Amino acid sequence: MDVNYVGENLLPGKIGQFFVVLSFVAALLSFISYFFATQNPTEKSWKTLGRVGFWLNTLSVVVIGSVLFYIIYNHLFEYHYAFAHSDEQLPTHYIISSFWEGQEGSFWLWMFWQNVLGVVLVWRAKSWESPVMTFVMLCQTFLASMLLGVEVFGSRIGSSPFILLRDALEAPIFFDPNYLSMIRPRGLNALLQNYWMVIHPPTLFLGFASMIVPFAYAAAGLWQRRYREWLNPGLPWALFAVMILGTGIIMGSFWAYEALNFGGFWAWDPVENVSIIPWFTLIAAVHVILAFKHSGHGFFTATLLSLVSFVLVIYASYLTRSGILGETSVHSFTSLGMSGQLILFNLTFLVIMIGLLVWRRKEMPSTQKEEDIYSREFWMFIGALVLTVACVQMIATTSIPVFNTLFGTKVAPPIDPIAHFNQFQGAFAVVILLVTGFTQFLKYKKTEPKRFWAATLATLLVALLLSAAVVYFTKLYTNLMYILITFTSIYCILVNGRVLADAIQGKWKLTGSAVSHIGFALLVLGALIAAATNEVISINESGYIGVKNFGKEGDKFTDPGENLFLTEGEPVQMGDYKITYVGDSVAPPNVYYHIKYEKIDEESGKVKEQFVLSPFAQNNPDMGGLIGTPATKHYLTHDIYTLITAASLDSQAPANDGEKTGYEEYDEPATYEVNIGDTLRYRNGVFVIEGINRNAHLQNLPLAPEDVIVGLKIKVISAEGKEFPVEPIYLLKSGTVYDFNKDVVEQGLRFRFTNIYPQRDKLEVMVYQKPLPEKKWIVFKAIKFPYINFFWSGTIIMTIGFLMAIYRRVKEARSSSRSL
Amino acid sequence: MKKSSIILIVIIAIAIAMIMVIYTDSSTYSTFTEAKEKKTELYVVGVLNKEKELFYDPVKDANHFSFYMYDNDSTECKVVFNGSKPQDIERSEQIVLTGKMEGDVFRATKILMKCPSKYNQDEVEVIETTAYLDYK
Repeated sequence: MDVNYVGENLLPGKIGQFFVVLSFVAALLSFISYFFATQNPTEKSWKTLGRVGFWLNTLSVVVIGSVLFYIIYNHLFEYHYAFAHSDEQLPTHYIISSFWEGQEGSFWLWMFWQNVLGVVLVWRAKSWESPVMTFVMLCQTFLASMLLGVEVFGSRIGSSPFILLRDALEAPIFFDPNYLSMIRPRGLNALLQNYWMVIHPPTLFLGFASMIVPFAYAAAGLWQRRYREWLNPGLPWALFAVMILGTGIIMGSFWAYEALNFGGFWAWDPVENVSIIPWFTLIAAVHVILAFKHSGHGFFTATLLSLVSFVLVIYASYLTRSGILGETSVHSFTSLGMSGQLILFNLTFLVIMIGLLVWRRKEMPSTQKEEDIYSREFWMFIGALVLTVACVQMIATTSIPVFNTLFGTKVAPPIDPIAHFNQFQGAFAVVILLVTGFTQFLKYKKTEPKRFWAATLATLLVALLLSAAVVYFTKLYTNLMYILITFTSIYCILVNGRVLADAIQGKWKLTGSAVSHIGFALLVLGALIAAATNEVISINESGYIGVKNFGKEGDKFTDPGENLFLTEGEPVQMGDYKITYVGDSVAPPNVYYHIKYEKIDEESGKVKEQFVLSPFAQNNPDMGGLIGTPATKHYLTHDIYTLITAASLDSQAPANDGEKTGYEEYDEPATYEVNIGDTLRYRNGVFVIEGINRNAHLQNLPLAPEDVIVGLKIKVISAEGKEFPVEPIYLLKSGTVYDFNKDVVEQGLRFRFTNIYPQRDKLEVMVYQKPLPEKKWIVFKAIKFPYINFFWSGTIIMTIGFLMAIYRRVKEARSSSRSL
Repeated sequence: MKKSSIILIVIIAIAIAMIMVIYTDSSTYSTFTEAKEKKTELYVVGVLNKEKELFYDPVKDANHFSFYMYDNDSTECKVVFNGSKPQDIERSEQIVLTGKMEGDVFRATKILMKCPSKYNQDEVEVIETTAYLDYK
């Protein structure tokens, strides 16, 4: 069927699609050429061809990105990607976030980073270029295929970001040539409209992408039989990948803390787990590589861990992108029907890993000599193994949906994943931190046991005293695991602080590791204290009757709830703070709710401290209603986190200014027969019938002498003590009764003087009341996170440590390649 | 025997023990009927009964939300959640509850929903289907 659609701009899509195909072909060409360049190093033309392919691929990736940006920026909603991930209201800086909301964009991001890394490798890798780039370009080929969106033998390969809306979806509206003017784009997920979402995904993907490099070096080392050599250039890359991925993960955690409403920074969500697993294995790899370099032990483990880290990256990508996590994860991508492709990608790299290891198993360097227990490499090895076992635990629990699919079982993940993971990972953390501590006192190869024990025990004692103080002040003593983690992380900080102090006096080489170990220990300590001792301070006790708890403590089903109800202008005492909901303001599409916190000195009654937090919420019917974004007050020692969980509807609805007349705004009237001097009640006070005014008059109304006009003097006294005089009028004109109502607008009252009964000496008054205007209210939750700054500062310190270590290892790799 | 092999064996033993613990820690998706029998905390999967009222009155109690749900055996049960109403529950096409049975009421501690809304790839929202808008 041919329809001449109006207003479509098809050229960008055609250009984009061309480069999508080109990027795939170029990557494939480059992969094949680099493969043959490695096999026939004498033939220079293979390597040149490989580079040509690489540059063509880089060019294509840049063009794809630019075209996609052009489409989103210019709101070309005829393209499905723009339609599904952006709308016209989206501020420009969030266009970047909408770029990677979809899978296609995030694959693009991965490819882009791999190109950037490729440029560095082509430029600097020298003799390693061909074998290393073979693996990089193989990965790039797989990634490029994810964007193809081409049908081969009836099945679609990849999903193109340039597919047209009317091709992507089937709907009757596409029979209309004017469909473009009638569709409403879906827009960007409100939760992603956060500045951290502009920076977190690129960092995370740079981390994921850079993990291909240690893989490629390790694989190339096995392939080319350059066993010992690959470790030198591979180590700084592994450190780089660990640093960037770690930063990216914690950025995600910070985003979750700042923008998500689950009230925390880590939830052991499958998506989080699968990104931390390769991080752990690569950290383990880094340590075993170092151990091998100094002692000759553990080549196989070092290589295996480097290789498996990237295989796990692809596995992570499979889990989050195939939709298999389904009901176990809140935030994974939905399936685009590419799981087959992703599985192939995963299996290919797994087979390469196993194949190479099996193929070279007899040639790998190994020593027959046994490592000494009092040696650094032995405990580095143990530490790496513990990290690996920690990963096995995470993989096992996270992969439950995969096992269910594979074996047709119906096992559900643990009821309380946070407790489940904390229990395991807490134990691992204790061991890791302890090993990271005392191993610093050991030297490579052999240490004098006496000196080791002297140094270890001295520090242990100091750590014991310090952690006792910390445990006491942070009230962590209720849980043995908390105490152990606190103790071991303080111990780790102390030992590494000592190493750092020594290093500053001369052994500069060790600063990088000491600094990153301190950062890691701080991170664990901060996470522990913040997660273990955070308290919900918005406990709603008022809404409960004492009986409701049945005196049972700690029963989560009957404990007072965590949400507090606040009415505008009515202060409530919440812990140390007096809080008032002072009002809201609208900045479409968000409504900001301003909550004033005041700390009042009990004796003087003076306000010691006050601040206003403005958490906001977006009422997005497409996203299912109110989506809250927290606001957090940061102190050095703790944070106060506040989130709106419900709000009165009218602050979300546009103000209704339409003038209404008549009585429809009022409730059913009450009719009273009264005498002078009567006092009657209304909702917000009383009114007194004061007397009759026989001299009442109405403007513009000529009166005949036989007409009767009487006013009824009423005084309204509100509950606040305000008085409002009002005088409705009764008129008998030419035998017909009229009455003229009078309003007290401030109190929402309307009075009618409707009848006079002279025989009974009664006056009839009708009182209309407006329903009391519903006050604006909010329901919110506030959580206090103590010492969370340790968590963030630990991350920063750790990153600095990694940077120092990279600097040192790059220098080392250069000098060793010169001496070779 | 080398020290490293002993350690390796110990580690593998720990790993296996751990995995077994994980699977005892895990549970199964059950139904309201089973929940009534077991009285322990478990998962129940089902769909919201959209015909019955979803009750949430924050003015009275901001931490009480109740609704009716059909489990996978189409048994209906009243569910009470001690918290505020999840934002998009009306639109959910599947609900996974964590909690336990108390009498005839299921006390939920966690509600996880699967929503079609935004992520439904096959849905086009149309501003106006009947009227033809003038194109600029």
